[in-house]
Formats: sequence, C-alpha cells, structure tokens
Amino acid sequence: MNTLILGHVHKSFARTEGQDVTHALNDINFSVQDGEFLSIVGPSGCGKSTIMRLIAGLIFPTAGTITLNGHPITAPDTERGMVFQKPTLFPWLTVEQNLSFTAKLRGLTKNPDYRAEAERLLTLAGLSDFRNDYPHQLSGGMAQRLALIRTMINHPKVFLLDEPLGALDAFTRMNMQDEILSLWQRSNHIVLMVTHDIDEALYLGTRIIVMAPRPGRIRADMANDMPYPRNRTSDEFLQWRKKVLRLLDFGQDINTKEESQ
Amino acid sequence: MQNKSEGMYHDVLNHLTRERLAELESRPRTGLIIFLDYTICLMPVVFGLLALAEYLYVPNLKGNTSTSTYAYFLGALTIFGGGFFVASLFWRRAFYVLRYKAPFYAFVFVLLTVYDYLTLKTGRLVLPYFPWTDQILNAMWDDRVYLLDCAKNSLTLLFSGYFAGALLGLLTGTACGVSRTVDYWLSPFIRLLGAIPSPTWIPIVMVIASTLFSGAVFIIGLGVWYALTISTMTGIRNIDKSYYDAAKTLGAGPLQLVFRVAIPFAVPNILQGLTQGMSSACLVLITAEMVGVESGLGWYVSWQKSWAQYGKMYAAIVVLCVVFVVVNRGLEVIRRRLLRWQEGLI
Repeated sequence: MNTLILGHVHKSFARTEGQDVTHALNDINFSVQDGEFLSIVGPSGCGKSTIMRLIAGLIFPTAGTITLNGHPITAPDTERGMVFQKPTLFPWLTVEQNLSFTAKLRGLTKNPDYRAEAERLLTLAGLSDFRNDYPHQLSGGMAQRLALIRTMINHPKVFLLDEPLGALDAFTRMNMQDEILSLWQRSNHIVLMVTHDIDEALYLGTRIIVMAPRPGRIRADMANDMPYPRNRTSDEFLQWRKKVLRLLDFGQDINTKEESQ
Repeated sequence: MQNKSEGMYHDVLNHLTRERLAELESRPRTGLIIFLDYTICLMPVVFGLLALAEYLYVPNLKGNTSTSTYAYFLGALTIFGGGFFVASLFWRRAFYVLRYKAPFYAFVFVLLTVYDYLTLKTGRLVLPYFPWTDQILNAMWDDRVYLLDCAKNSLTLLFSGYFAGALLGLLTGTACGVSRTVDYWLSPFIRLLGAIPSPTWIPIVMVIASTLFSGAVFIIGLGVWYALTISTMTGIRNIDKSYYDAAKTLGAGPLQLVFRVAIPFAVPNILQGLTQGMSSACLVLITAEMVGVESGLGWYVSWQKSWAQYGKMYAAIVVLCVVFVVVNRGLEVIRRRLLRWQEGLI
C-alpha cells in the first residue's frame, strides 16, 4: 500500500524583480493512498502545478514535509511519474525512441520485459504504426498519449498529471479522459490530476480538492463517490458541478442574477 | 468496363510516387508543352556543340595558340549532357532533374563560349591576367602531380586544425552552457579571444610555434574553436527547461541531462557552428599558406603569381574551389542526415 502525505506544506518564490516573495502555497495538508484518483481544481495562480512539481521532486517546499511511504522526497524519481501540460517529447527522437528514453537512461533497452511492455503500450496508445515518426508529425492527442505511456512504462507508484489535456480539443479531450480512467483502473495506483476544467475533475476523480488563489490554499477536499462510468449530463453530476462552482465563487452571482430577474 | 477503370485508378493510387502525385494533380500537359520541355532538356547539348564550334572554327587572334585539351573538355561535358538527355527519355526522375537544371547547364556553356571569345579569339581580355580556358586546363594537367600534392597538404592542415578546434569548442561550449561556474570563469576569455580576427595571430604564432604546421593548426583551430564554443553554448542555453524536467522525472541524472538532452537539443546550433567554423578555417588556411606555410594550394597560388604564371595560378584556384565545394557539400550531407527529425518542421 503506497501512501503519499503532504504535511503543512508552504512554498514561496522569489519575484524576478524586487525583494518581494510570492506565497504560492499556504499550509497544504492531504494524504492519498493507492486506488485514489485525486482531482485538483482551481483557477490559475492557485499553485496547483506547484503541488505537482513538489511531489515530483523538481522543487522543494519552503516549509513542511512531503513523504511517500514514510520517505521524504528529495529528488525526482521514476517512482513518481509526471505528465506535463506540453507533451515535452524530445523532438530529435522518434516515437519509439521517446518511449524507450527512460529505458536507455537505466540501461534496460535490451531487457525483454521492458521491450514487451513498450510494445504493449505502443499498441494500447494506437501508436505502433507511427513508431518511426518524429514528434512534430504527430497530432496533439497522439503526442499526449505518447507522453502518457512514456511515463507509464516505469509503473510509477504516483502518477502526476499536470493539466495534460489542457491543450487538446474538446473531443480528443473526452476520449483521453476515458483512456486515463481505464489506465488508472487497471493499475490502481495513486493518480493526482491538476485541471482547471471542473467537468474533467468531476468525471475522473474519486476525490476532488478545490483550491483558492493568492496564497494557494485548499478550500474543500471532498470524496466523489459517483459510480463509474460517470454521466456528464446526470442530475447528480450537475449538482456536483454547481457545488464546485459555488466553492470557486462563480455559482453565487448567477443565482442572485436569476433571482433578481 | 466501368469497374475495370476504377480498379486501375486504385492501382495507381496505391503505388503513388512523389512525381506521379505531382503529375496527377497538375494540369494535363499539352503536346506543345511536352515538346518545349524536351527542347529545354536538349539545350545543354546544343550549347555545348556551339561552344565546341566556336573554339574549333573561329580563328584565333594572331599569335594566340591553342591545343585540343579544351576541345576534349567541352566534348566530355557535352557527352555528359547528351547522356543525361537520353536517360531523361526513359527515366522519369532524370527528366525532372534535367528539366530543372538544363537552362543553367546551357548558361554555363554560354559563359565558357563568351570567355573563350574575349580571350583566345579577340584578345579583349589581355594576357597574362586572363589566360584562356585551354591554357588553364593545360597548366592543371601539366602540374597535376604537384597540384595534387598541394591539395593534399592543404587538406591535412585544414582538417587537423578543424577537428582539434571543433572538439575543444564542443567541450568548452558544453561546459559553459551547462555550468554557471565554468561560464563565469571562461566567458570573458572567450569573448576576448573571439573579438580578435584569427589572421591577426599569424605573424606572432609563425614566430613562436615550433613548426609552421603546428602554428597554422593552432590558428585554424582557434577560429573553429570560437565558432563551436559560441554556437554550442547558445544552443544549450536556449533549451526549453521543461525538457530537463521531463527527463528528470524519467530518471535522468546530471550527466545524462547533458549528454541525452542538452547536447542533442543543441545539435542544430552545433552544426551551424561547424559550417561557420569551416568557412573561417578555409579563410585562415589560405591566408596562412600565402604568408607563412610553404606548401599547399594557397602557397602555390601566391608562388605562381610571383612568377607571373597566371595560367597555373588560375589552375590552383580552380582546384581550391573544387576542394572547398566538395568539403562544404560533405558537411551539408552530414547536416541533413543529423537533422532528419527537423524535416517539415521549419
């Protein structure tokens, strides 16, 4: 059983000009366990991505602790895989070489298990016919699928998704959401997904954290127990949507307008 | 009947080549245009024969002598053009290449004819500064052993300096691009050394260096080193930091970040530096040979000039030109090969 715990995490950044400091995160506390899919939703500037980067070990907290199974996080590691908003595929490598980049770093390219896994993932992502193409030849959805499987090949204990679908069109996006769901259901590891799309957060997560900006803090942390597959148009879903919108201070205005008319 | 033609259409689409596609999508060519295309393809042969006729049948200016060397040369070029034309009748690809190149080939023959007329036939351009092509070709042939030897010496010197400089430049450029500390200590010197045009060093180095060869290698290498350092450094600095982040989460250590991410990312810049370095190296090579090193094509050119042997001088210049064109072509082929991933991107 893997457990990720954030305890009283604060993060501040020095401004590029002046002596000021920006408080990006203020007292973040939560813990996640295997089998949980945590959606983090909030407006831009609320430090959602900062949380992802902290867990990945790309940056370090100003105060507080982050531990995975009791061990503090000190550096990036393949046990915590991350997918970014941009696919960040290496443009000089082919699809297949991008997928086996991590194997190459670890001297595993000839390992038969790894190769079989690579082959399985290529087929799963529908990329086997494009293995020799370069990233710029792929569509946005294909590129992001490749970024996903490039991280999945390491079987990370924690899967960090930093708005990976943000740049995709609505239809590709909905298809990818289903794909991410089925990947998670199969592995049952911890998934944390940052998004600014409320529908996406509600459609995917077993739990949803709503954040508020300046300084970034948790406004609500709720279990979302709607059964999968979820129906985006069901009453329950729409109720959830209203609730989250209100938490983000968007719901109230509309209601008062309606009442005043 | 309907079905059969549809089947044929499918067959065509399944075996499309680039040329076939262009043909299918372009307007149908009329008989006149086809005739014109082939006439243009035949132009090099026509103008080759005209150049030959001018050389053989227009009388020389009194006192000017000519041999059959130039005639053979023109003949060989014309036969090449003829062979190309025959190939274009049977091979589509050859046709497209020739249709594109033929006007220029013809123009080259026109230039040769005009030059021959202005020198050998009328003397409008006077000796010894403007020898006719026949003289240059003969000079080249007579002195071929020595010229080849000079070319060999030039190339040895060029590549010794080039590779030494390129390798060191790659090293310092990478170090400066990756490490702030190295950049802090080295950058000022790099800027200082880079500001001085390489040929400035020739007089000093030629005196200090143990041999003229090693001195010349040093100066050639210096220019290449500078070009490579700057281009590699710039390439690595321009990297999108998200590549580093992605590589780190995929398990890359500090050295792997350099060799698997930073350097591959900088390859386009590095190649640009290599091209720039080559042109600087060629410049320094010829300058060094003209003022110090007593071998090589640059030395040959200035030596023959001092004897007023302009035919031989031009011969060496032609060889020089061919050598540099081949070297740069080679570099270009390598560049294309390494930048295949950019195809259609830029």
